[in-house]
Amino acid sequence: MSSEAATATIDHHFDPTTSTGIPNKKILMWAFLASDCMFFGCLISTHLIYRLHPPPGTPPARQVFSIELTSFSTFILLMSSLMMALAVNAIQKGNLKSMRWSLLTTIFFGCIFLGCQVYEFRNFVYEKHLTITNSILGSTFFTLTGTHGLHVLVGVIWLSGMLLYSFTGRLTEKQAIDVESMGLYWHFVDIVWIVIFTAVYLLEYI
Amino acid sequence: MSAHAAAPSQGHELEQSKFWIFVQIAMLLAVITGLELVTVYLPFMRWILFSVLVVLSTVKFMFVIFYFMHLRWDRVFCTILFFIGLFLAAATMIALLKLFGADASKPLASAAAAPPALAARAA
Repeated sequence: MSSEAATATIDHHFDPTTSTGIPNKKILMWAFLASDCMFFGCLISTHLIYRLHPPPGTPPARQVFSIELTSFSTFILLMSSLMMALAVNAIQKGNLKSMRWSLLTTIFFGCIFLGCQVYEFRNFVYEKHLTITNSILGSTFFTLTGTHGLHVLVGVIWLSGMLLYSFTGRLTEKQAIDVESMGLYWHFVDIVWIVIFTAVYLLEYI
Repeated sequence: MSAHAAAPSQGHELEQSKFWIFVQIAMLLAVITGLELVTVYLPFMRWILFSVLVVLSTVKFMFVIFYFMHLRWDRVFCTILFFIGLFLAAATMIALLKLFGADASKPLASAAAAPPALAARAA
């Protein structure tokens, strides 16, 4: 069966084998993301609360942050989301080659984001003398952005695994839900960063 | 959400057109990020800038979840499931910020550096 004919028969938004009409893997991923929302909500709240009442001696965040670097990271993560969406679109059309290139680009952008974060952390620790233990700003900031960075790292590992798996010949259009679930996770990492960028970085500048 | 009801050929056309939808949305998100960056340097009142930033972030957030994460085309149950988590997270954040935003919740070190009446209460 050609991939075009297969596309006409597979509806990626409806699964007749489940009672909800939604693939179970997709429901599982959405439930996980909903719970992760609460996890990040608490971390962001903690950071904002301590920004409301900074103890004496807390360094001004505006002097510590680099808005140029963070904006660049945000742009990179948004573009990685685009490539992830294209990868899902490609596998849903049975276009394995296009999916591989899109996944590779997503991994590349993910690595750039992680590189920027490592650079930022090093800069904060060695140049600005902000560590996770020497101030509340450092504690809440490194915990929040570090947890997000860990999510990005898990996403990059997952993407790399999927890319390697695609070369085994066992990843076809029928397994598009696996790529789509991974895509949901990656986009979630992006939306969390959208909130962090505004709540943690931009609010310090107004 | 109603994509499954469409004819297969329409579904295929939708898959084809999604490519350009994704590209256009990514460009829009990049522009909004640029606008956010410009906004923080504008000489307006703080609450106006804060409101603008919240609106712009919400627009970005919604575009990503409804288009990149396919909620627009998926069954409404996925949207409900995610928004339950989102609502609980938002409610928890608002509750915590209100609770710890009160003067009585100030850490003792900050309270000591605050006006005398507050410092006396803290002591």
